[in-house]
Amino acid sequence: MPAFSTIQVGDAPQPLVCGPLTRTDFVRYVGASHDFNPNHHDEIYAQNNGNKTVFGMGMLAGGYCSRLVTEWLGIGSLQRLRIRFASRFWPDDVLTCTAKVTAKREAGGRRLVDCEFTAVNQAGETIIRGDATAALP
Amino acid sequence: MDKNAAGKSFTPYEFRVERGKIREFADAIGDPNPVYRDPVAAAKAGLPGIPAPPTLLRTFLYETPDAKNALGVRDWSYIVHGEQEFEYLAPVVAGDVLTGQDRIVSITEKESKRAGTLQIAVIETTFVNQRGEKVQVARRTLVETGKRISD
Repeated sequence: MPAFSTIQVGDAPQPLVCGPLTRTDFVRYVGASHDFNPNHHDEIYAQNNGNKTVFGMGMLAGGYCSRLVTEWLGIGSLQRLRIRFASRFWPDDVLTCTAKVTAKREAGGRRLVDCEFTAVNQAGETIIRGDATAALP
Repeated sequence: MDKNAAGKSFTPYEFRVERGKIREFADAIGDPNPVYRDPVAAAKAGLPGIPAPPTLLRTFLYETPDAKNALGVRDWSYIVHGEQEFEYLAPVVAGDVLTGQDRIVSITEKESKRAGTLQIAVIETTFVNQRGEKVQVARRTLVETGKRISD
């Protein structure tokens, strides 16, 4: 993980681009996450429920964002992570995850970095908004 | 939703964080990091074992439906998962046996121009490991809307 002194407010990692996403990507996450809501894997059910097709799990897009944050600030440094679900995503979508540092502070003897992150689709619509705090050496 | 459910706690449930599940989860979010697959790589990264990815414990919130059932939702097609938060208090690694306990923190109402009266439930799950250490707190926010939605 990076040293606290090397991180500045406004710093951003290289964006993480995921996709074009496939139904198989969704089903792999269904199995891994135990989210058996049929809207995510059953085409007929999803269409009968008024959807054009199955749609992705918000926590899959949130997982991509968490991956961006851990690749950047390290695994094991995270103190908290919050994922807010803004919109849905679909097969063939390409999600781009970005993050940036919003604050640096010291609290309880720990050096903390706050960041915000988003995942947007290929049309620029926000799918995920979130924020996280990491403790760095 | 049944506002009387606010404040209720539910029966704890125990599960093992298996190494295979960690690898499967890392694969599902496309994370190639060897620390999720190889104990030597994890040790080299200074980790006390193969770590749980940050959002893994959401998976185990499906272990019991008790808290969701207590919300008294008539039709789940009116419910959206609005937000998911995790607090990380101590490492979770492969082989840990965790005990989770759900509590309905609050059920509140909010007016929305687009969706009418919203009812917002926050369910908090506290995870304790086999040594009695509190390792994570997960909070999910479920929103009941006035109109039917699909997620």
